[in-house]
This record gives sequence, C-alpha cells and structure tokens, in this order.
Amino acid sequence: MNTLPGRAPMEHAVVRLEHVSKRFGDTLAVDDLDLSVPSGQFVSFLGPSGCGKSTTLRLLGGFERADRGRIVLDGEDVTDIPPNRRDVNMVFQDYALFPHLTVARNIAFGLELKGEGRAAIERRTAELLAFLELGEFGERKPDELSGGQRQRVALARALARDPKLLLLDEPLGALDARLRAQVQLELKDIHRRTGKTFVFVTHDQEEALTMSDRIVVMNEGRIEQDGTPEELYLRPASRFVASFVGETNFVEGTVRGTDGGVTTIDWHGIDVRGVARGFTPLENEPVTGALRPESVVLHAEKPPGGAFPGRIASRLFKGSRTTVSLEAGPAGGGGRLLAYLEPELAERIEEDRVWIDWRAERLSILP
Amino acid sequence: MTRWTRVTMSVIFWAFVVYLFVPLVLMILMGFKDSKFIGFPIRSWTLEWYVDVFRDTEVLGVFLYSAAIALASTAISLVIGTWCAVLIGPRRFVGRAALFALVCLPAVIPGIISAIALRIYARLLEIEPGMLAIVLGHAVHNVPFVALVVLARLATLPASHVEAARDLGADEIVAFFRVTVPYLRPALIGASVFCMLLSFDDFIRSFFLGGYQPTLPVLIFAKLRSGMSPEINAISTVVLVLTAVLGLWAERSSRRLARTKPSGAA
Amino acid sequence: MSGAAERAVARASADGRRSRWGSLLGSGLYGRLDAALAVSPTRRFALLAAVPVLWVLIAHVGPIVQMLHVSFLDAYPPSVGQVPAYTFENWTSFFGERIFIMPFLRTLVFATTLTFATLVITYPVAYFLARHVKRENQMLLLLLLLIPFWVGEIVRTFAIMILLGNTGAVNLLLSWAGLVERPIPFMYTRFSLGIGIVYLTSLYMLLPLYSALEKLPSSYAEAAADLGAGAWTRFRRVTLPLTREGIASGCTLVFLISTGYYATPVLLGGPSTTVFAETVAGFFHVAGDQWPVGAAFSCIMLMTTLALAGIFIRLMGRGGTGLLK
Repeated sequence: MNTLPGRAPMEHAVVRLEHVSKRFGDTLAVDDLDLSVPSGQFVSFLGPSGCGKSTTLRLLGGFERADRGRIVLDGEDVTDIPPNRRDVNMVFQDYALFPHLTVARNIAFGLELKGEGRAAIERRTAELLAFLELGEFGERKPDELSGGQRQRVALARALARDPKLLLLDEPLGALDARLRAQVQLELKDIHRRTGKTFVFVTHDQEEALTMSDRIVVMNEGRIEQDGTPEELYLRPASRFVASFVGETNFVEGTVRGTDGGVTTIDWHGIDVRGVARGFTPLENEPVTGALRPESVVLHAEKPPGGAFPGRIASRLFKGSRTTVSLEAGPAGGGGRLLAYLEPELAERIEEDRVWIDWRAERLSILP
Repeated sequence: MTRWTRVTMSVIFWAFVVYLFVPLVLMILMGFKDSKFIGFPIRSWTLEWYVDVFRDTEVLGVFLYSAAIALASTAISLVIGTWCAVLIGPRRFVGRAALFALVCLPAVIPGIISAIALRIYARLLEIEPGMLAIVLGHAVHNVPFVALVVLARLATLPASHVEAARDLGADEIVAFFRVTVPYLRPALIGASVFCMLLSFDDFIRSFFLGGYQPTLPVLIFAKLRSGMSPEINAISTVVLVLTAVLGLWAERSSRRLARTKPSGAA
Repeated sequence: MSGAAERAVARASADGRRSRWGSLLGSGLYGRLDAALAVSPTRRFALLAAVPVLWVLIAHVGPIVQMLHVSFLDAYPPSVGQVPAYTFENWTSFFGERIFIMPFLRTLVFATTLTFATLVITYPVAYFLARHVKRENQMLLLLLLLIPFWVGEIVRTFAIMILLGNTGAVNLLLSWAGLVERPIPFMYTRFSLGIGIVYLTSLYMLLPLYSALEKLPSSYAEAAADLGAGAWTRFRRVTLPLTREGIASGCTLVFLISTGYYATPVLLGGPSTTVFAETVAGFFHVAGDQWPVGAAFSCIMLMTTLALAGIFIRLMGRGGTGLLK
C-alpha cells in the first residue's frame, strides 16, 4: 500500500514554539526557544546530550509543561493541554509497545480511546498493517518481533490517529549500524508516503544529514542554527555547528581586506581567501573560518592561481580514501589542515610536498 | 573452596532441609495412629481420624470460616496495598519516605503488640470481636506485603509505557487500568496468594480479635491446650496439604507470568 | 472530551457496534469525572494520595496512638457512668515489680540469643544455596525450603511438640539406640522453645541472606584469593562484610518476629520460660480494667524492640534497607 488515507497536508507552519523556556531544578533545559516547524517536512533536532532536544520534543508532545512561552499547534494554543488531548503522537525511544496486547491491539489502542466504532477500527488497523508491511504480524505479541519490526509497529500505532504532527525520540538508537541504515531509508520513505510533518530527535549528525529536510542544531537549550542540511554543512553559522556537523578545519587569522565579497585573511603569514555571509569583517579583525576537509584541493606541482606550499605531516588510510594532516609552508611547520588525498595524486607527490588551495566560497568566515 | 568445605556445606544444607521437613512428616504420620493419645511408637494404623475430619461439620465450618476471612481480607489489602504502591512508586514527593515507613509499619511490629493494638482499636471503633474485626485486622497486617510486591514489579515498568498510553489519548485513570494493571498482574496474583496464606495461617490477630467462632489456627491451638489427640494431626495435615498446594501453584504461576518483561527497543 | 464522545456516538450509529471503551468513555458520568480530574496536577495528586494517606493514618497509625492513649487512662473500657482519669501508674507499675521486668528482660535476651543462633544456622545454608548450586536449581531448592513455611505457626509448633515430647520421635530414637532409659523432658523448657522459634523464623533470616549472597559477584572472593587470602580469611574479610545489609535485615526481622510470638511460648514453654508476650496478653483475658496496664506494657515493649532494632540497623548497615528507590 503506497499511501495512507488521512487529512490533507496543511499549507502553513504546523507548530510554533514562542519564547519557550523549561527549567529542571537548577538547569535551564530550554532557553527562550523560538521555532517554527513547516508543514510536511522531516525536521531533525540535532545536538549533544543535554542540549535540550529531547526536552523540546517532550514539550511538543505535552509530557513536559513549559515554564514560559507558548506552543501553538495549527493555530491553536496547546501549551496547557495534556498529551491525551493533543493532536500529536510520539514514537518513543524504547517503542513502549504494550506487552500484554497483540500488534493489532497495540495499533488499535488510540482508536479505541477515540471512541471509534469496531468496524472502523478494524479497517484502519488493517490499513496501517499493510502500509507498514506488518500484515502477517497482526496477532503476534511485541516480544515475538525483531527490533526493526517493533519500530514499525510503534510507527503504525502513532500514525493511527492521523495526528497533525509525528514526534520520534531517537528511535534508531538501539539498532545496530547496518539495520539503522536500512531503517533510515524506510523512515524517509514512510515520511514521503504519508506527507506528514515528522520531528525527529537524534545526536547522530550523519543520520540527521541523511534524513532531514531541515535540521535544527541545539546546544545548551538554545538553537545554534536552523536550516537545510546543505546550509548547515557548507555554511555553518557558528563554531559549534561547524564542529558538530561533519569534520571541519578552523582557519584562524587576521583580516587583511575584503574585495568583491571575498575576504583575504592572514593565516600564519599566508594569504588565504574566504567568504563572509551577511556581514563584512573589519580590517585587522581576528576571525575564524570553517573549511571542510573535502574542500581542500591538493596539487603535486604549483598550479596557476593562489595556491601555497605545504607538507604532509601524517596519513591515515581509511580504505576509500586517505586522510592527511597538512602543515602549511615549504618545509611545513605552519598552520595545520586536514584534507583527503586521492590515490592517483598520492603517487605523483614527491617528498610529501604539496600545493594547497581552495575555492573562496568554501571557507565560511564565522560571525 | 576446597572439597572438604563443599561437602560440609552440602551436609549442613541437607540437614537443614531434613530439620524443616521431619517434624511435619512425623505430624502427618501421627494422624494415622489408632489410639486416642499421641506418642511414639505407632503400633496400629487407621484412617479413621482423617475420615472424621471430613465428616465433622464443626471442623468444616471452621475451614470455611477461615477461607472466607482470607478472601475478604485479601481483597481489601490488595486494593489498598496496590493503591499505596502506585502512589509511592513512580515519583518523588515530600514525605514519600515517611509514608513508605508508615505503610510498612504493621509488618515490623511484633505480633502480640499488633494484635493488642488492634483489639483496643476495635473497641474504640465499637467493632465487636468477630469476623469483621478479624478481616480488618488481617487486611491491615497484609497491606505492607502487597505494597512491597507491587512496588517491586512497578519499578520495572518503564515510564514510557504510561506516557505512550497518554499520547494515544488515555487520561491517567484509563492509562492505569489499560496499561499499568495488566503489567502488574503477576505481582497482583502473587500478592493475593501470599495474603491468603498469611490470613489463613494467622493466629495472634485471629485469637485477639475473634469472637466465639474460631479460625482454624485458633481451633487447633485450643484443642492442643486441652490435650493432644491424633484428630489434631489429621486436621493439621489437611491444612498442610491445602496450603502447600496453594503455595506451590502460586509460585509456579507467578514465575511464569513474571517472565513477561517489557520488550524494549533491543 | 464530550465533543469526542458525541462524535463517537454519531459514528457508532452509522457503524453498528461500538467498542467497549468507546461506550465507557462516551458516558456522561465519565466525562464529568475526567473534567474534575483535569483541573490541575495538584488536584490529581491529592485525589491519588487521599485513600492511602487516610488509610495509613486511620489503620496503621491509629491503633498505636490509641494504645498509647489508653495506656494513660486509669480504666478502660470504662464502666457505665465512669469517667476515666489520666495517670502514669500503668507505666510506673512496670518498673516496680520483678514479676514484670524479669520476663521482659528474659524475653529480650532470649530473642537476641535466638536471633544469633538462627543467623549461625542459616548462613551456611544460604551460602551453599547461593554459591554452590547451579542457577537453575537455586529456584527449585528455594521453593523446597519455602514449603514448610506456608503451613502456619500453629501447625509447625504442633509438629515440634510431636518431635520433642516425652513420647516424641527424638525420645523414641534415643531409647531405641539404647542411649537412655527414661525419656528426656525436652518439652516446656527454654530448649524446646528455642528450637521452636528458630524453626519458625529461619526463613526470615534465610531470604535476606540468600538475596545478599546471590548478588555478590564471585570476582571479589577470587580477587582476594589472588592476593593470597585463605578460605576463612576470604570469608571473614570479604564475604561477611559485604553481606552486612542482608545480615542486618535478617536479624532485625527475626528479632522483631520472635519477640512477638504468643502461641509458641504457651505451647512449647513452661512457667520458667514465660515470655513477655504472655505477660502482656494476660492483661487482656481478665476483667476489662486491666487493659490500660496491658497497653502501657505493650508500648514499653514496642518502643524497646523498635529502638533496639533501629540501633542495630544503624550499627550494621548504611541506614535504610534500599527498599525504596
């Protein structure tokens, strides 16, 4: 079954958090958060442990009550409404499938509480079982299923009431790496087929990059950056985002000048170029730029243009490619960079000497 | 651990088992003695005493009386004990430790004092010594045991289960009856049987709170004070068989049920 | 909620049967109940706490308080027309008479000795069960040990009577073996009472000990052996200290239970072994105006035993039995 009958997707933002704060004892878990989740998208909350992403999710679900601020769901203020009366459903981290009920009864649980008629419940349950390819498991108990199957049951159960918003609390955490990759694709597919708004919490940045339409990076209760995976990866707004998402080189130096959108930086005596977006760095101002290792271009001989010399200080063979640690300067000893080395290039390099450059727009100067 | 120590330990263990069982075996045997007086050696054997037990309407009445009290008091302690456990278990609140201590109070008081306090209290509440007093007395005494058993089981219920029920539309009462109670079933069954045994076997409270009609232990006690005869053995043996069977059945089914643990993400 | 209920009802008439929960939740009574609950978390908690707190106060604390109250009256139950006055006499009379203090002290000493004896007897049994028996068999053997305890104190006391009586099994054995000519009067002595009480309470010592020993990882003893400790040293300096909490719970339990027995001392003991339980009980089976004295004595006994148990736990354990997480 390829689509799931349900309500038509909404045009606007499905949920908004306005100046939401939540405190636990002495800790401020969520600090004056403002967030808008667009309808129909797969949004991930990403961040390290304790950053507030789970708390925010639970606030959306109604399991925590905000100390300050408002939560508006589809135009309705739900801040004080308990979870059983919110049109939001959650897939829990441990799935929380009721052990004494069969898969079918688990899925039907929410429908029974809605007061639906028996025939309607059976119809809807069958729909969901087919949609999530659980057809033959209807009469089994949760403890007879594998991890991946249980996750699908948890999803089916959460989708049963056709909620406006679906929350997922690190649902892939307990799966092994291979299964996780497979389930990621399945989840993405289900999202596409239901057209619902998914809010997904994870601490794994690769996972977030793979699955999301939008990522909200959080740290210490605040939003660090909110954007598409490309934006976060190529144009990180802060040092935290740059280092949390993927590997990054931090290029620190003093501004020499800006010309036509490109800023030149004095990096340990070498002039390098980068781009600052949304602001203009002042001369002689100390700045930090984020440069992804794959953006560093290596040459065996000096190319035309503004490349500078460097030495390979160490190599790490990783199978598909080799990560190298570089030191700028003809004899090394200057600023350090991580880069990737292609095998063909490796053969042409003499005495670990390389020429290094990159495209200016790949070095994001952080505000 | 040397072989020598292991052998000694083994001997001690089995000697202990023998020590536990031999008196009961002897008691069973004595019920077959063809004599009005208890004592070894047994020269001739008879089944008369056992037959008499089943024919004696007085004794049968006492059996039923004890059973009825056990059922009634268990029902009360089950509800109250579970309610206490559900209140104390999940979250912390001011006075939680104190409340827990007070819930356990009847179980840590020496039996005689518990019985006396209840007797005085019954007088205050103008409850006559009799069935109602005994039922209430047993209920009070058994609540701590129910609470402890239920608390232990409750501690293994992940909070996410109740949250999931609420997420799906259940308010707290519905979540309790549709998720928590089914999960507690093994503990509830185990606790019920335990309470029934405790109540059936109870002497001290039944003795002080009882009226003219005795419970089974009180009856046996009275008969023992006025001189022993194999009749008492027969009655006691029947009690032994009943309680042993009940206890064994309870253990087996609670063990089987307790194996249903919440299936997590793993 | 009532809106959802209305829709449920409407859908039901179209769909035919309604689910059981649907009908329940649709009813007006439930709707009102739910609304009353939803007012605030505090209200919900108060409703949840009401019954247990009331029960505990009325049924658990109440009897003790009332017993304390009666202990200060000069007559209870009061005869018609009599107004009871308050007095300390019931309490002071305890300290005045040897006939009261002696059984009291004797009971405490006796109970302490028996507790220790039970500990010594059951520790090896628990140890064997926890460490020398395969996991799968442990449950079965534990079950075996539990069976005699389901029978109840009266039946088990009776069984001991048959064992130790003049025509009992032990005497029979001794005379068959030719060791004695006349039966040894085991009964109605401290010995018979001791055997009886140890018989009755050994489970309450065994279970906490077994539980503590079972949780002890064998790596501790192995580490000690690796460092050169012999068997007895390992036991004394590693196993024993680490099972302190189990020992504390077991001893406290057995102590409190053994001071509370009434029937067993009556049946197995004699005039020389009168325990305090018998003394106190005596005040309740005569005319009603001895109740206040009995109440006072009970209070004294309660306070003493709980104080002793409390001190013991404080000395042995880390305070608290970890039952409450």
